[in-house]
Amino acid sequence: MSGIAAPNEPLDMIRLSLDEKVYVKLRGAREMVGKLHGYDSHCNVVLGDAVETIYEVDDTTLETKVSTLCGCSKKQTRTNKLQTTTKKSDMLFIRGDSVILISTVSE
Amino acid sequence: MSEKFDPSAFLSKIIGQPVIVKLSSGLEFHGDLQSIDGFMNVVLEDTKEYNKGKLTKTYADAFIRGNNVMYISQA
Amino acid sequence: MLFFSFFRTLVDQELKNGIEVKGFLKSMDQYLNLKLDNISMITDEVKFPQLVAVRNLFIRGSMVRYIHLNPQSISTDLLQDASRRGK
Repeated sequence: MSGIAAPNEPLDMIRLSLDEKVYVKLRGAREMVGKLHGYDSHCNVVLGDAVETIYEVDDTTLETKVSTLCGCSKKQTRTNKLQTTTKKSDMLFIRGDSVILISTVSE
Repeated sequence: MSEKFDPSAFLSKIIGQPVIVKLSSGLEFHGDLQSIDGFMNVVLEDTKEYNKGKLTKTYADAFIRGNNVMYISQA
Repeated sequence: MLFFSFFRTLVDQELKNGIEVKGFLKSMDQYLNLKLDNISMITDEVKFPQLVAVRNLFIRGSMVRYIHLNPQSISTDLLQDASRRGK
């Protein structure tokens, strides 16, 4: 590639985060926290025990949905106009094109 | 072509220095540039995230996927 | 290519347009395009009634947001090692 790839390249940071708990900021006002089990150069990522948070200002979906899809649970809370939805998944593949940012989280 | 007009030379020159990375969504990240590659994937250290000028989050190390980057500026 | 060789299991899908699909992963290519068989559940049948009768699907990889995996069917150790090596 072009000559700006330093010996220490950005994906090394993700490699060092393997088996650690990471925070992933995604497109569509979504965030994910989970243990990093896999990644590739497209930032496709596999997370274990993933917790997704979706932020919505829209308050049209008031009904609480109970989805049994893969045992994912959905819970909906509502605060003023900003609504957050959390979803859990034991093992989740995230397609890289949704990824904005990846960071380790300290516990 | 003079080296000082070469964008990639500029990017390798500012490694280790404080930078501002702006995303096309408008989010801004202020931190020290740890590394960068040809996709403009970057890793920042001691990063502060600003949304509309307001500090919204901080990260120790942050990997930003290059496709989201609008510009990288020397702070 | 890492993930191309990785998927061999029963999976759930969540697409970027909000459709969620569950089915058996029949085949997959380098773009992570997917073929699913035996679609057993599609969320929001009210919203997407046109999909109720569908038995199998071809999904363009770029439409995928998440793929839910069965934790028992994958080895996280192997996946982590493959990720370390596969740069």
